[in-house]
Amino acid sequence: MGEIPLRVRRKVWLRQFLLQGCWNYEGMQNLGFAYSILPALRDRYEGRPEELSRALKRHLEYFNTHPAMATVILGAAIRLEESVAEGKADPRAIGTFKVGLMGSLGAIGDSYFWGALKPMASAAGAIMAFVHPLLGIVTLLALYNISHLTLRFQGFAAGMGGEESAVRFLKEAGINRRTEDRKMIAAILSGAYAGVVSSQAAHMFGGAWPELGVFLIAALAVHLFTVLFRKAVSPSEVLFLLLIVGVLILWQ
Amino acid sequence: MLWEFLLAAVFGGICYLDRTAAFQVMLHRPLVVASVVGAIFGNLAAGAQVGAVLELLYIVRLPVGASIPPDDTGAAVFGGAAAATASSSIGLDPGNFTAILLLSVLCAEFGKVADRFVRRMNGRIAHLTVDMLEKGDSLAVEHGLMAGITLFGVFGMVLTLFFSGLGVSMAGFLLTRFGPESHIQFAAMLPLVPLLGAASVFSCSRTDRTSPVFYLTMGCVFAAMFFFRWLV
Repeated sequence: MGEIPLRVRRKVWLRQFLLQGCWNYEGMQNLGFAYSILPALRDRYEGRPEELSRALKRHLEYFNTHPAMATVILGAAIRLEESVAEGKADPRAIGTFKVGLMGSLGAIGDSYFWGALKPMASAAGAIMAFVHPLLGIVTLLALYNISHLTLRFQGFAAGMGGEESAVRFLKEAGINRRTEDRKMIAAILSGAYAGVVSSQAAHMFGGAWPELGVFLIAALAVHLFTVLFRKAVSPSEVLFLLLIVGVLILWQ
Repeated sequence: MLWEFLLAAVFGGICYLDRTAAFQVMLHRPLVVASVVGAIFGNLAAGAQVGAVLELLYIVRLPVGASIPPDDTGAAVFGGAAAATASSSIGLDPGNFTAILLLSVLCAEFGKVADRFVRRMNGRIAHLTVDMLEKGDSLAVEHGLMAGITLFGVFGMVLTLFFSGLGVSMAGFLLTRFGPESHIQFAAMLPLVPLLGAASVFSCSRTDRTSPVFYLTMGCVFAAMFFFRWLV
């Protein structure tokens, strides 16, 4: 049996965008993973419906990782399924591989995408929106998706190269370094944003000393909010408090 | 107005799909959603003004594992519709701007509850899929996933209709009842909300190296703007 044809790989690649299509509390991304890998399984187990059904059940077990990093596991799982279909590997190896990698990939992905790339893109978008709303939107979408789509594609290609290729990709992609860099840029951009906001607020008072006072209050407010966030206070709770203060002001 | 709501519902459905079920290409971010909803209801700039602030507010709440962050897409739908309706030819009044930002938190929390409900319903779909597969129906996986996506999309459309309706009615009836004095008092709280957003991004990116950089950049930008105003 030869390699999985390109059209099947393309189908799997497109389907992986729907990985969280039926996200649920028990299996999390299980149904999405089974859906994504299905074209490859159909190709491997053509004319063997019982084996296809068994393979699908394997992929309906609990699965959860960062959606953009799942492509690495998906590609490698296809390679493992090829070996299983040819009788060269134990089907249990697939489950072990998925469970072994999903936790660490989830942590890496969450830290990079949600903790560094998204804040960076959002802060850049919010700043550019001061110039023009459309420029803000384009900046946000471009900054996020160039890295996001590239990593999804590279991860899938690396996974399709097999387990070793997947692990090599994770080492060579330098995601930890990228995370640190994006966090630094996000800190600079959010600092600039806070500077613009505090400057606008200070402008209402006029005079050097009052303006400096407003700046110090703004820096103190940011520091207080970050301390609250570290103590697991949600932004919603802070906004609720401000809303109550606002209602009390109106009540007067 | 009917066409506006229909258009917003279709767009909202796509954005809610992007939020969890499909693609995750950031179409669901508040800056995008509030700007487009604002444009649908007649004022892109006012929508973007609200969206840019909402964009940063909830960044600190990461969608990790089973935790669901507040629904900033819903908050942006509400904010975009309300801002476009409440704005005049000179833009959005600071008092209304503050009120819209603060009231949007109710939508964000309501949307979070709705999201949790949809995910529980998806659990039933997943169970049914496994049962069907046991009976030998391999198409069940595709049907199950499509059912999940449809559920996410329909809920997104319904939430968008609800939030945009709420935004338009609030801007039309509630905000107009406040006097100009209360507007000024209310607007005094306005800088706190974007600062909360900046703190949210900073908390995400906080390391030993980034802390001094954040405050240094904040000071430099403030000083540069002060100097520029002094020159002019």
